[in-house]
Amino acid sequence: MDTTVKSLEAAIKFRNMRQELMASNIANADTPGYKAKRLDFEEALARAIDVDNELAMQSNDKNHFDVGNGGFNNLEPHVYEDPNGVVSENGNTVERDKELAEMAENQIMYNAAVQLLNKKLGMMKYAIGADRD
Amino acid sequence: MDLMTSLRISSSGLEANKKRMGAISSNIANANTTRTVEGGPYRPKEVALGSEPARDSFADILEGEIDAQAQTVHATEVISSNRPPILKYEPNHPDANQEGYVAYPDINVMEEMANMIETGRSYEANIAVMNTTKSMAMKALEIGR
Repeated sequence: MDTTVKSLEAAIKFRNMRQELMASNIANADTPGYKAKRLDFEEALARAIDVDNELAMQSNDKNHFDVGNGGFNNLEPHVYEDPNGVVSENGNTVERDKELAEMAENQIMYNAAVQLLNKKLGMMKYAIGADRD
Repeated sequence: MDLMTSLRISSSGLEANKKRMGAISSNIANANTTRTVEGGPYRPKEVALGSEPARDSFADILEGEIDAQAQTVHATEVISSNRPPILKYEPNHPDANQEGYVAYPDINVMEEMANMIETGRSYEANIAVMNTTKSMAMKALEIGR
């Protein structure tokens, strides 16, 4: 499978995970001691795609192992507790409005990824002549 | 970790907020109750919230560490608060004590109203998350169409 499908698949997967963490943050917006959780994957994904070809290690044979950029197999998101949250008197750091705003963004980007994937699949279909009869 | 788990987390949020709302409505309704089954005036109820990892099967528990991060919320217990009752001098009241004082629960209706608004907002936020999750799941069904 080529990089486009793989990277879109990864993006969809990570946005699912992010949605889950935001659901958790909002559900626990009043739980004493709960800390808002964040998920970062953009950097890891950029490293895996390696558009600029700057991160891949130099190798003199194309059969050498895929090193340096890590490839898609070792792609891991970074989940952490938000260090910038404002701590309320019960120790909770969730800001509900911020979470909802980020969730809206996440949804839009998720839909965009799905649309791109559909376009890509459409092109593949076109190439194999599925639309030509 | 998938969208169904997100839905489950949001529904745990709805459930917990419903319990909080139950306690608040009970407190407001009983703001002047001087006689209860346990004896004495009504004691205001408070709901304690706690979180736990959003995993439902043993297989999930064995899965990666990222899964342990998302948390569902639960109303862990309903506490009857120990706030001392307010004594009012009403000698003709059937629940008056020897000196003519009646013990009323110490419920601040303003405080309960503020809690109610907050609980309502919490509930709405969980609904919003649920709707977003649902539309994402529907969008995923369009892949390859």
